[in-house]
Amino acid sequence: MKVRMSLAALALTALVAAGCGSSNSSSSASSASSTQAASGGSSASKSCAASIGIEAPLTGQVAVLGQEQLAFAKLAIQDDNKANGTNITLVQGDTQLMPAQATTVTQQFISNSKIVGVVGPAGSQEVEAVGPLFGRAGLAFISGSATNPTLTTSGKNATFFRTVSRDDVQGPEDANFIVKTLHPKALMIIDDQEVYSTGLVSAMLPVFQKAGIKVDHESVSQKVTDFSSLVAKVTPQTTVVVLPWQVAANAQQFGKNLAQQHKNATIVGTDGTFSPSSFTTAGSYVSSFGPDITAIPADASIVAAAKQAFPKFGTFGPPVYAATHVLDEAIATACKSGSPSRDNVLSAVKATDESSSILGQPIKFDSKGDMENAKWFLFKIDKSGKYNLVTGS
Amino acid sequence: MAVEPKDSPGVGVDEWVARSVERKEYMPGWRGDAQRALERVGWWPRLGLAAAVGVFIPLVIGLNSFQTQVGIDALLLAILALGLNVSVGWAGLLDLGYIAFYGFGAYGFALLSSNQLNPPNGIHWPAYFSIPLVMIGAAVLGLCVGWPSRRLIGDYLAIVTLFFGEAFVEFTNNVAPSKLGGPNGIFALDPLHGFHVQILTPTGYFYVLLALLVASMAVLHMLDTSRMGRAWRAVREDPLAASAMTIPVNRVKLMAFAIGAMIAAMAGAVFAAQQTSVFPTDFDTPYLILIYAGLILGGAGSLSGAVVGGLVVSIVLDGFLRSPNQSGYIFYGVILVTLLLKLRPWSRVAFVIVGTIVFGFIVHAIVGAIWPSATAGITGANNTWTDLHWAIVPANPVTFGNICFVALLCMVVVLAQVHHRWRTILLIPTLYLAACAWEARLSQVPAITRLLLLGAILIVVMAWRPAGLLGARRVEIV
Amino acid sequence: MTKFIQELVNGLTQGGLYALVALGYSMVYGVLKLLNFAHGDIYMVGAFVGYFVLQWFGGPTALAVPVPFVILAMFLVAGGGMGALGVAIERFAYRPLRDAPRIAPLITALGVSFLLENTMLLLFGASFRDYNTSAFIPYSTEIRIGGVHIWIVQIMVIVLSVALMYGLQVLVTRTQLGRQMRAVATDREAAEMLGINVDYTISATFFLGSALAGIAGVMAGLAFNEIYTLMGFILGLKAFTAAVVGGIGSIPGAMLGGFLIGLAEAFITGYVSSTFTNLIVFGILIVFMIVRPTGLLGRVQLQKV
Repeated sequence: MKVRMSLAALALTALVAAGCGSSNSSSSASSASSTQAASGGSSASKSCAASIGIEAPLTGQVAVLGQEQLAFAKLAIQDDNKANGTNITLVQGDTQLMPAQATTVTQQFISNSKIVGVVGPAGSQEVEAVGPLFGRAGLAFISGSATNPTLTTSGKNATFFRTVSRDDVQGPEDANFIVKTLHPKALMIIDDQEVYSTGLVSAMLPVFQKAGIKVDHESVSQKVTDFSSLVAKVTPQTTVVVLPWQVAANAQQFGKNLAQQHKNATIVGTDGTFSPSSFTTAGSYVSSFGPDITAIPADASIVAAAKQAFPKFGTFGPPVYAATHVLDEAIATACKSGSPSRDNVLSAVKATDESSSILGQPIKFDSKGDMENAKWFLFKIDKSGKYNLVTGS
Repeated sequence: MAVEPKDSPGVGVDEWVARSVERKEYMPGWRGDAQRALERVGWWPRLGLAAAVGVFIPLVIGLNSFQTQVGIDALLLAILALGLNVSVGWAGLLDLGYIAFYGFGAYGFALLSSNQLNPPNGIHWPAYFSIPLVMIGAAVLGLCVGWPSRRLIGDYLAIVTLFFGEAFVEFTNNVAPSKLGGPNGIFALDPLHGFHVQILTPTGYFYVLLALLVASMAVLHMLDTSRMGRAWRAVREDPLAASAMTIPVNRVKLMAFAIGAMIAAMAGAVFAAQQTSVFPTDFDTPYLILIYAGLILGGAGSLSGAVVGGLVVSIVLDGFLRSPNQSGYIFYGVILVTLLLKLRPWSRVAFVIVGTIVFGFIVHAIVGAIWPSATAGITGANNTWTDLHWAIVPANPVTFGNICFVALLCMVVVLAQVHHRWRTILLIPTLYLAACAWEARLSQVPAITRLLLLGAILIVVMAWRPAGLLGARRVEIV
Repeated sequence: MTKFIQELVNGLTQGGLYALVALGYSMVYGVLKLLNFAHGDIYMVGAFVGYFVLQWFGGPTALAVPVPFVILAMFLVAGGGMGALGVAIERFAYRPLRDAPRIAPLITALGVSFLLENTMLLLFGASFRDYNTSAFIPYSTEIRIGGVHIWIVQIMVIVLSVALMYGLQVLVTRTQLGRQMRAVATDREAAEMLGINVDYTISATFFLGSALAGIAGVMAGLAFNEIYTLMGFILGLKAFTAAVVGGIGSIPGAMLGGFLIGLAEAFITGYVSSTFTNLIVFGILIVFMIVRPTGLLGRVQLQKV
């Protein structure tokens, strides 16, 4: 016992000392080796070197979401380095969609002076946890999937931007479409016990209630892959099932459970389930804040590269591509006007004004960090699993 | 795993206890002398020394914000491992719901330091009031959770506590969303405040946690050497014998739960204040696994073991493995150190190392001559080895790296089965495979590699020291 | 009534899977007193192996050989492969710890679990993979009772899991190997003294338990289509629960526990509240365990003094 107490003291010293020593040396090591990743290779590019951090759930329950985001961020950096002659590298930070881990990763990014902008974090609850930290460091961070309205309206996240629309845009639009076009007498809405889902449900419920629709609000963990006992609750009067989920494959399984029990309800998915490669249940509707990028001719080369890097991509990648692209452009602009410092990049991000983007719409941020003129599209899935545009605004 | 010296007395015999001092092992040479000298110093000064080291490290070296954050994470895990040690290490109760006390502390603090309750102004009690309150609440909760331990033993108790832990997450996620926030959690909490002082900086929280850790260690050490501590260990070894010795077994078990819960709740409250927010996902099973890993890696039943285990797991996981460069150092470093420690005699070490280097150059040359594209790859992060024309990294390294990795796993399993000369010879291609797998694939996916290495470290350390780094080898009474 | 029967079938299907995985837990626990937390991940790897066998035969939409043959092949390859994996894990990770404190192998098991999950993530990526069973076993091959639709795959899962459990019970109670297992479970040292090859018996136990988990993985793929690298985590917890509720170490107990939890989930989702399903199930189980501390069929252990 006593020996051990002293050993504890020794180990503590050694560990902390080692931790400091190697962290310091690594930041220089990473800067030295980072030059390799530049694909531009022109001598002019050497002058504009910087790093972007990405915070995403690269492992854990929703690794499918984070790995897609990572693949698109890599693509964007590759493309933009080539186009702008910059030398931007990507630093990966795995958060597992947990705010506590996001905090640690955020501090890692903040203390790495090479990093001048951050893509992510993926979840709204993570943004809540790390927003003030980024704000104090003056580091711009752009999320491609955090949709909770309060992130921008609360005014606490001064350096936060997002390339997705908010729950209070998408939710009511989806709900209005369901009420006006599908005319259900009764519907079932199932949240997946995550922030994204509960946020959308609370945005939709008032619309349904106002229209006098009988709503059956259910809930299921996204870790589950069998929904047969929920499907058994779908009554013949229930003609619509709303699935505001973030794992498209789960919505696909729900469709199969419906088919197996011979229920005729129509699934309406939100942008989380928008994935032409995973969610293909015929007759379902899926909403999205952007058009289908596989159908945009200008995006053909990106789509081809993305299919290589992440074959079953869905809705989480393209906004991250857009977010990374915004940062890339901001760094290039900052380089032209001086140095790619955090301040310069932040002000360049604020001034972003792109007439077109991978999302098929212009990107311009309002004073709070939301995209201006956020759009909304709705698709219907046909027999062959193809997404056909029904309506858009 | 028979490590007993030949002349040691039989297991379970009185003599074993009688000769415990003789068996005390000291390291040879000056290290043994230092050890004895330290032992003579006494307990308080040594804890003070450890605390002083902790205090001076940030002052002397100057931690940046990330290193401070890693320090906070590490101290939190160390405190949690300390608390878990009470029920698991001392009282021998497998408590799989421990994380819920941490969550309870965090949520309790959050409710008492935000606008959630009693809107619109909320409750904003100072920390010297809210934290003790939360700790008392956790102790009561600990008594409730510990209640089944009166009847349930062993793994049946484990499952009931596991239900409790899971139920806590479900509860915070689904019940009363207007108060507990559902999956959105509670945010905009007050920082720790009281007596006109507010703690806002990470460094401040580092010192708060350090002080709490030292205080917990002191309190627990006194408990450990008190009647209560002896009662716990008696109950752990044999409840029946303990009760025959007039130890109130049930009350002693409940005390273990309550004290562990108080420590966890204290850590939870500081965590909430530090993050200024709480969310259900932070208190789910994955973090419980880390606490257990810390405690058992360090040595269940030993105070300093729990602390060191918690610090090591957290610092390795967050401090080192988060960036590919540092995890590269860890990867090659651990391999090298293992070789140096485990291979005897020195000639064999030299043979393996030189052999691996030569083997690499030969393979690289042959492969490069046959398929030039197979050695054309340049990895982004850590390309020193490929520059040396040593490790094979093809232009499209993913498939190749995956194959290397699977082959490496197979080779490791094979290595564990063969002996002597074959082991030495097979070690060479295994090491080379490890380097190729690392350069071609693992260094490119730091997030996945981080967890792979964590798994490997857990397996290796437990095989190396089943009682943990600082744990005492326990005699299983037959 | 329709809904009742439908939920009954759903619960039994899910429960059958829990039970199969719980069996492995229970067997391993019986002989080694080890909570093998990596067991759920073996189930996951089994599901992936089955998926690749399916692809090998041409994929769900273009199978080259008759369906029963494919399914049999999936079960055999996944079962055999996972059995071998289980044996390898035991030899490499658990055997060095056989005489260690009881809590040490728990951490090793967690390490193995991390390794398996992340190796699969590294090799095959994070995307969900789809068995798409209805492409080769259409939903129209079903039994209809009034408004209740029971798909042939659901029947297969229930029947096969019960059959496997019965087979296992026979194996444990009637055969030489079974007697050896029980001897090792009762007292390892005494068994060794009687000339039983303990290493072999433990390996055989791991083989059987892991093979059942692999088969359960394929069944899960067939019944629920989507598979991914963390699917074993939550199922492993449920199976652990089932094993303990049934009385850990008891084979009929594990089966009963599995079906019980599956049914409880289905009926609570169907009739009470899906939001609170887990909370209610946990609540019921806590009360149950307090009332009956050794599970359904667990024996009260007499304490030797």
